[in-house]
Amino acid sequence: MSLLEYQYFPVTRPNKGAGGRTGAWRIVKPVVDYNKCIGCKACFMFCPESTIVPSNGKVRVDYEYCKGCGVCANVCPVKAISMVNEQ
Amino acid sequence: MIRKVISGNEAVALGVKLARVGVTGIYPITPQTTIIEKLAEMRAKGEIETEIVRVESEHSAMAATFGAALGGVRAFTATASQGLLYMHEMIWWVAGSRVPVVMVVGTRAVGAPWNIWNEHTDFTSERDSGWIMAFASNPQEALDLTLQAFRISEDERVFLPMMVGMDGFILSHTKTNVLIPDQEQVDDFLLPRRQPYVIDPEDPIGMGNIFPPEGYMRLRESIDLALRNSEDIIKEIGREYNKKINPLGDYSTLNVSYKLEDADYAIVLMGAWAGDAMEAVDTLREKGIKIGMLRIRYLRPWSEKEIRNALKDKRAVLVLDRSTSFGRGGGPLYVEVKSTISDIVPQIKGVVSGLGGVTVNKSELLYIFNKFVEGLKDDVIWYYPKEVGKIELRTPRDIE
Repeated sequence: MSLLEYQYFPVTRPNKGAGGRTGAWRIVKPVVDYNKCIGCKACFMFCPESTIVPSNGKVRVDYEYCKGCGVCANVCPVKAISMVNEQ
Repeated sequence: MIRKVISGNEAVALGVKLARVGVTGIYPITPQTTIIEKLAEMRAKGEIETEIVRVESEHSAMAATFGAALGGVRAFTATASQGLLYMHEMIWWVAGSRVPVVMVVGTRAVGAPWNIWNEHTDFTSERDSGWIMAFASNPQEALDLTLQAFRISEDERVFLPMMVGMDGFILSHTKTNVLIPDQEQVDDFLLPRRQPYVIDPEDPIGMGNIFPPEGYMRLRESIDLALRNSEDIIKEIGREYNKKINPLGDYSTLNVSYKLEDADYAIVLMGAWAGDAMEAVDTLREKGIKIGMLRIRYLRPWSEKEIRNALKDKRAVLVLDRSTSFGRGGGPLYVEVKSTISDIVPQIKGVVSGLGGVTVNKSELLYIFNKFVEGLKDDVIWYYPKEVGKIELRTPRDIE
């Protein structure tokens, strides 16, 4: 689509910023079992921090920003996400 | 193409049907109600596929329409008066988001006090919101402008929402002969929907978020430029509409001139009373008075070039307002016209009339025009066709 020079739209792409980055305080983190994941994206819809990223029909967790709240593990209909203790 | 005797509201509903609108956010308000009643009826009969979203208020109606448009379908809503004012916030959100949406406004007086009759104040009060604003003068034009609105707002050089005004009751409920285009003609005229961006879980975007001051200001400038540049695009699309759909209507210009070329005096107005004004102009012409009329069809973009060109070398110009701009001594149209032509026309007068359904027909207009040609003393007058009864004011303490 060719857009003219004066056209400007109030849209941004989601981007990394220092603001929401998780420190060293996370206790548990979600781990996706790709054998079970059906790609329904329920976790993506419910993640309050938008750290679940859809990729190749399944989901990936952005651990840099994940707070380990466990909402994703709870909403997963096939129990593909388990909360694992941080090392 | 068929001819049918229908009301303005039915004409708009048929336009929505022909444009294959995907989602309609609806909330009924007089005098727009029959548009959505007609749409609901067509939906119940299975004639249209439009998803009709019933909401709790006009604010939500615009929000639902906005959301649907962001999702990538053609979206439509209609409102009037208090409903339009209730939408005011969402109207700015849509324009600021640069998303194509089409709305029809059945114009009506604004309270208090309650008054359901026709005037233009609700419509003109949205003129700074960034929408393209057209105003129809008959049901045929209401249909034509609604169809063109989809094409104009979805043009990549524009990407702005568009509202079409239509005099409440005078057009919305009065049945006249309307030329209804065929589906094939409209499909040929309307291109597949285009929009600047779309909400999509596979490709997420952030919208409606905080913008830094400079980015915000750049967006405002871009809206202004897109609106002003839309003038040529509207003419281009209008010419195509003439060719493909309605050869009888002339949409190659933004505003419509009537007997203006050799006129000494000019009337400027907007909306349905243009018909009566044209008859009044004819009557005065028979008496040998050189008078003409300019009907503003597009309040935004305001075509400065076209209006200056139409009104140059006129002895005097009279602007008729069916709307108010309190504290300014004249309606919004008067202020706009005066700022456009004050250096080339020596005398610019204004009349505010027809508010809240006050009847202004040919005889009243003739009276006004005659007074104007004789020479009005005041710059702006408020004209009442009848004497207004005195109302005695009482304080609550007096009532016992």
